[in-house]
Amino acid sequence: MAGRGRGLMLDTAREIHTPEGVPLRLPAAGPVPRAYAWLIDLLLRLGLVLLASTTLGVLGRMGTGLYLVLLFVVFWGYPVLFEAMWHGRTPGKRAMGLRVVSADGAPVGWMAAFVRNLMRTVDMLPVGYAFGLAATLVDPWSRRLGDIVARTLVVHAPRGDDGRVLAPAPALAPEVALLPGEQAALIAFAERAHTLTPQRQEELAGIAVPLTGADGAPGVARLAAMAQWLLGRRA
Amino acid sequence: MRQDAFVARHEAEWRAFERWLEARGPARRADGLPRDEELPTRYRRLCHQLALARRRGYSPQVVARLQALMQRGHDVLYRAPPPRWRSALRFFGADFPRLVRAQRGCLWLAAVLFAVPAVALFFAVLQWPELAHSVFAPQQLAKFEAMYDPADGRHRLGRESGTDIAMFGYYIYNNVSIGFRTFASGLLAGVGSAFVLAFNGVVFGVVAGHLQGVGHGDPFWRFVAGHSAPELVAIVIAGAAGLRLGLALVAPGRLRRIDALADAGRVGGRLCLGILAMLVFAAFVEAFWSSTGSIPAPVKFGVAALLWLLVLSWLALGGRGDDALARHGRAAMPGDRPWMAGPGDPEMPRSRHGGPRPDQVEARHAP
Repeated sequence: MAGRGRGLMLDTAREIHTPEGVPLRLPAAGPVPRAYAWLIDLLLRLGLVLLASTTLGVLGRMGTGLYLVLLFVVFWGYPVLFEAMWHGRTPGKRAMGLRVVSADGAPVGWMAAFVRNLMRTVDMLPVGYAFGLAATLVDPWSRRLGDIVARTLVVHAPRGDDGRVLAPAPALAPEVALLPGEQAALIAFAERAHTLTPQRQEELAGIAVPLTGADGAPGVARLAAMAQWLLGRRA
Repeated sequence: MRQDAFVARHEAEWRAFERWLEARGPARRADGLPRDEELPTRYRRLCHQLALARRRGYSPQVVARLQALMQRGHDVLYRAPPPRWRSALRFFGADFPRLVRAQRGCLWLAAVLFAVPAVALFFAVLQWPELAHSVFAPQQLAKFEAMYDPADGRHRLGRESGTDIAMFGYYIYNNVSIGFRTFASGLLAGVGSAFVLAFNGVVFGVVAGHLQGVGHGDPFWRFVAGHSAPELVAIVIAGAAGLRLGLALVAPGRLRRIDALADAGRVGGRLCLGILAMLVFAAFVEAFWSSTGSIPAPVKFGVAALLWLLVLSWLALGGRGDDALARHGRAAMPGDRPWMAGPGDPEMPRSRHGGPRPDQVEARHAP
């Protein structure tokens, strides 16, 4: 059902074989962002409960009953309702860029959301989600026990496409033919360069001195020009 | 093909797909958008382009963009159908009782785990009253006695204070949480569920024995009888679901352990829906009926017997006519993904020619 391709050995990406025959790569989320998401949700839930206790307090005895029903819904229903109705995200998960999906990559259904949250009872044991943490550390896709039983997966939601296309610039043909992997690395470097400091760019370009024949800033410029050429720009 | 030429060729198509994804819902019928029925084809073409992009080693940005588009398309195409009210009715009328009956072995075991300590300790405490003190602290026993004091007419049965509605909320919160935990703790090889069942049996047996012994038996039984049917049966079902989950871990049979667990989890989740309904009903009875001390004992016990009869016959007879389908293994647990239903699946609507109805096929693909 799932396999990990070459070059993904260190990655937690899970490849899901879709009916279309094209693998969907889902990057599984580890315990740390999930713990933060849980904390954010906890604060929100505490806020909700506090708000309810002050407003329902006005209603007196009847308010107590409503408050307890609400406590039940916030405790058991909150994650289920959000995950099933809001694309697999609770507010905390949304803040951390996480999402629950079914193990086959489809959106999580009501039953799976219900089961995975019921199972928190066990993941919480003996204290502070210790069982869940142990499971996420052992499992290759960081599933806690509830995820295993409900067949779900917590993944990093794809970040919004920044839409940045490499601006056209003078192109330069590499002097030697590059292997596909090398070509991809060059283009990736050029596309990601704007996220790196100039010093780091130069440091990385230093690795390719045998190809560019230049160190420092000129090396970076030549790599960028070669990337232009590899993209098919011949200006 | 170079990356730039590839992107230039397909850019318009990707943008159209993206706009359709964003416009789903209210603005759906806007002009210039691809029509819904074109989407599966467009999605498949996108998948093809993604495969090409990966194979040709295009840059991570292009691949990531295509993968993100594909994932969003996948989400829309393969999401579960929204739950329907009619299927909820069928669930409580037929599927749930059938699913309960399918767990016969675990159900008996759970009932024994609860009933044996309860009955044994009831008689043991009647025989040796000091036994109650080794289970409860004296203050707790005093509290129980006060709750069911026949001489004290100031408050309602089974509670120290609190109105009906407040207690209704409390019973929902407390009892449903116990029910859910009874199921979930079964994941610990069934030990958790067995412990919860036996523990509740012990508590119930000791309290009942003690109150009977000190002469507070009449109000106690008048309080407990009414809601006992839905409450006890629901807890036993939760225990059975938990035991089944534990069994899947210990003895998965011919399945992989992980598949057995997922199966038991799905069954348990569905059972928990029924348990939720039963316990909310029990909480209602407990808060508004059981606590009224003025109703004479014969009426109380008559209603209790009626409730037991109703609950048991509901579980024993509900959905009986379709049991053949249930044994088929699918009707009791219809897949979460109906488009994967095969021709042998009773869930599958048929046309007169035996094939899937064309409108149903259409509905599955066009979101």
